[in-house]
Amino acid sequence: MSHHADIASDIVQDIPQAREQLQAKGWIARKNEAFHHLPPPPLEQWLPAQEPAFTHAPDWQVSIQQGADSVQVQHLSALQAQERQALFAGLAAPAGDAAPFAWAHRALCRQGLRLHIAATTNGSPVRLHVEQLAQQAVAAPLLVLELAAGAHCQLLHTAGRAADLERITHNLHLHIRLGAGAKLQHLRVADARPQDQLAQVQRVELAEQARYHQALCSSGSAYQLQRTEVLLQGAGAEIRHAGLLLTGAQQIDQQVLVQHNAPDTHSHVQVLALGSGQGRSVGNSYAYIAPGAHDANVHQRLWGIALEGQPRMTLRPHLEILHDQVQASHGATWGALPADALFYAQQRGLDSATARRLIIEGMARALLERALPAADDAPGDAPEDASDLLQTWLDSGWLSQAIAGQLGAANAGEGA
Amino acid sequence: MTTTPPVLQVRDLSVEIAERQVLQGVSLDVQPASLVVLMGANGSGKSTLGMALAGHPQYRVSAGQALLAGQDLLQLPAHERARAGFFLSFQSPPDIPGVKNNLFIRTALNAVREAGGQEPLDAFDFLANAKQGAKELGMPAAMLARPVNEGFSGGERKRNELLQLNLLKPRVALLDEIDSGLDVDGVRAVVELVQRLRAQGTAFIVVSHYLQMIESLQPDQVLRLDRGRIAESGGLELARSIAETGFARAQV
Repeated sequence: MSHHADIASDIVQDIPQAREQLQAKGWIARKNEAFHHLPPPPLEQWLPAQEPAFTHAPDWQVSIQQGADSVQVQHLSALQAQERQALFAGLAAPAGDAAPFAWAHRALCRQGLRLHIAATTNGSPVRLHVEQLAQQAVAAPLLVLELAAGAHCQLLHTAGRAADLERITHNLHLHIRLGAGAKLQHLRVADARPQDQLAQVQRVELAEQARYHQALCSSGSAYQLQRTEVLLQGAGAEIRHAGLLLTGAQQIDQQVLVQHNAPDTHSHVQVLALGSGQGRSVGNSYAYIAPGAHDANVHQRLWGIALEGQPRMTLRPHLEILHDQVQASHGATWGALPADALFYAQQRGLDSATARRLIIEGMARALLERALPAADDAPGDAPEDASDLLQTWLDSGWLSQAIAGQLGAANAGEGA
Repeated sequence: MTTTPPVLQVRDLSVEIAERQVLQGVSLDVQPASLVVLMGANGSGKSTLGMALAGHPQYRVSAGQALLAGQDLLQLPAHERARAGFFLSFQSPPDIPGVKNNLFIRTALNAVREAGGQEPLDAFDFLANAKQGAKELGMPAAMLARPVNEGFSGGERKRNELLQLNLLKPRVALLDEIDSGLDVDGVRAVVELVQRLRAQGTAFIVVSHYLQMIESLQPDQVLRLDRGRIAESGGLELARSIAETGFARAQV
């Protein structure tokens, strides 16, 4: 269903309340550790004093390739009290380091999408494509996705925009809940433009034996926050995340925070940042293992590669372990492209530009394949074939073009 | 009487690595379809010769010349040396994660073909050739779909080098300890491939300490490198002598 209420007749009360919260508590403080390396633009950018004009055009487009009978789609207004209540039902109240973004989101959010996915009768996965369509320069889109117990879903999540929007400031919030035994493969492509200011904050909760595998590909912009908060609430729950940050000469701040709140939970986080010029990449991977979360398994691996120039890269894997019986490994590596592989490719006849492109694209693909492998029980640290979801998208050529674009810009920078 | 000019002429080649002189005035001629075995103790400069001829940026040529089919090899960037027909089989071929072997080899092969004025091979034709080549080398075809050298054993990496050699069909190939890591079937495959490519005109410089393989390769010349210089030149009897007495005695 789709409803858009008349704003004047039905202003909901928690919008002014959210503004009051921001006034009382303030914006992201300079001393806020999570945002210390890449401070966000001021609140006025995310929540203008003058309300943007309301548009009825939906900012989400959903196409279901498989399992339509198991999918419930709700486009809901955030300006009509009843619908707003349904849209925000069950979502955690803003809290933590990024709470100001959440309050700003609540104050500006005008509509949202709620998806509920049930298990299919034959056990096959639901396949769907969700496209977030930017209709306004400043907006606060919302997506709520719930997978019922035992549901399986492959989700391609992309971004588009109205033709006249060259620059956007978007504060996107995603809330994902996976019931017991649910599995979600999520390929998220944040196709940003250089002048965009983006905050994409994602909160994921997993019940027992649920699996959430996400690959995120993001191109850099004037400011960009990619924050993923994961709560492993049930025994045996697993998050696997790969973040490919095509920062270039722009900025990306990625924060992945995982809470292991139950026994036998697994988190596998890998980030590859490619920077050039004066680009700024931050990769923060934090895992908290709660008391009693025995046999938790944590893996964090962060790489940063300078394509040219002197990009700044801050890669911080960190752990907070409050239980004895756990396995944890973490590491971060900064550097240039592997010289031995480059020379090897050149010795076989590939010119330098082709060799660099091939090697970088290979690293990117390998990263994404480890998060979205063909076999979803693959160990995650060995070469894998890509899942259908990933392979289809790779075949579209977006990644190749994005990397070629980055290298082209980097080469131009070198020549300058 | 006419004589065939050497396909590779190396004259007084001196090479430094990190300001350390490794090769000191090496000269050698390699005739088309011939095979030269290069022996020498560890650190004598055998691999340095290969890396310098291939154009590795860390190997600085301080003097000398190398002509490949009359072309000044040392003036070319690494990829153009490969396109001109110089192939180096690496002692330890590196991984290239995420790049499928068949894509890598096809991209390389087509770069070389196009540089030589040939039409590029489409994926279908390439794969048929590559599978046939892999089969001849005892290499599972599935390895073509795996990332380049990632997770490969030592022997599998060497077979992968041989597959590329077979498909690229260079003018001159320098095989740096191609036998290390290979089982007996692998060594037999090396010998068969070298014989086949020699019959098609490829010349070889083979770095090896393995007498049985050297004998099977039927070299035209055996050279002993010592502290960066060609210390001895001979035929198979030199290889046999070195195998019997070792490098330490030969240096006395």
